[in-house]
Amino acid sequence: MKQTNSKPKALSLFWLFAWINTITLGGGYVIVPVIGNSLEKRGWMQEDEFYDIFAQAQAYPGPLALSTSMLVGIRLCGFWGAVAAFCGVILPPFLVIILVSRLITTYGSLPAVQRFLDGAGAVVPGIVAAMVWKNGKRLLKDNTGRTRLIKILELTALTMLLVFFPRYSLPILLGGIASLYVLEGLWKPSK
Amino acid sequence: METLKVVWTFFKIGIIAFGGGWSTVGIIKNAVVPQWVDEAGFRSLIAIAQSTPGPIALNAATMVGWYHGGFFTALLATLSVVTFPVTMIGLTTLLASRITLNQMQIQGALKTGSLAMMLMTLWVLRPASADPLLLFFAIMTFYIGAFTKINSLWAIFGAGFINAFFGPPIRSLWEK
Repeated sequence: MKQTNSKPKALSLFWLFAWINTITLGGGYVIVPVIGNSLEKRGWMQEDEFYDIFAQAQAYPGPLALSTSMLVGIRLCGFWGAVAAFCGVILPPFLVIILVSRLITTYGSLPAVQRFLDGAGAVVPGIVAAMVWKNGKRLLKDNTGRTRLIKILELTALTMLLVFFPRYSLPILLGGIASLYVLEGLWKPSK
Repeated sequence: METLKVVWTFFKIGIIAFGGGWSTVGIIKNAVVPQWVDEAGFRSLIAIAQSTPGPIALNAATMVGWYHGGFFTALLATLSVVTFPVTMIGLTTLLASRITLNQMQIQGALKTGSLAMMLMTLWVLRPASADPLLLFFAIMTFYIGAFTKINSLWAIFGAGFINAFFGPPIRSLWEK
């Protein structure tokens, strides 16, 4: 039997998060399973407890990696756990970007570097389109009948508002998410 | 003064940065282009953010701060993106027993909301240049991302590499 739920020190928690945030490239959905595995391997947290926390973390604004890590830190070591998680998530990317920006300031005017950045930037719409494709497919699959129709209407309305009034994206989104929350409660799928 | 403007902009971005990195990109773009970065610069910024560790919103804040004030602006901008999220985490932990929002309802609302944000991101980042090679990169990346399990990092580095070293000879095929 593996021993579980031994509590780590805040400092070891910091090193774990800092290490994960240095070596993991890609968004929140890539990094979250890595965090879950490492916590389980060290016997600090069981998988199902971790995914409970992850589900909670999705309701918070801000990067998913940050909210998940901080909630884990609070659960394991309280206040200092949260501080350890915060520093572990923020520091490595910050230092890497400072380094990359310095390199670009020095070498960015070289034509080959410029072409590299242009080429890399050109794939961005493709990545976003693929994300829309995947999430849209899931939305259609998870909802049927009337709920599906309502979801599509909500989605179209919110997207239109965001596209046509880019200057007001903050109030539109705050109001939008709040109304979606209320609507979600009105149209519970009857079982 | 510029530091304060950068900090305020990224603080606001932090409030609505729901649902993972990509849904936030459109919001970030509306806030920083063309004021602080130009169109092409923003695309490379996002490509760099995606191929380095850390959340996109954080990376964008660090980079914009760095180019508009230096190290301390970069540090303050980075901290300002997470000010609101961290405050929320602190508040809900302190008030844990008194919060009665329905978890399922929140998740349903956020799924629809973040998909709308992604669609908006797609709209504001639609391919800007008519260069056939760059368009080809975008279409290939969509194919790879939507229908294969290949990590999009390979598309970023691959397109950058091909464009850096073979861009001119490839373009000479149709440019006279």
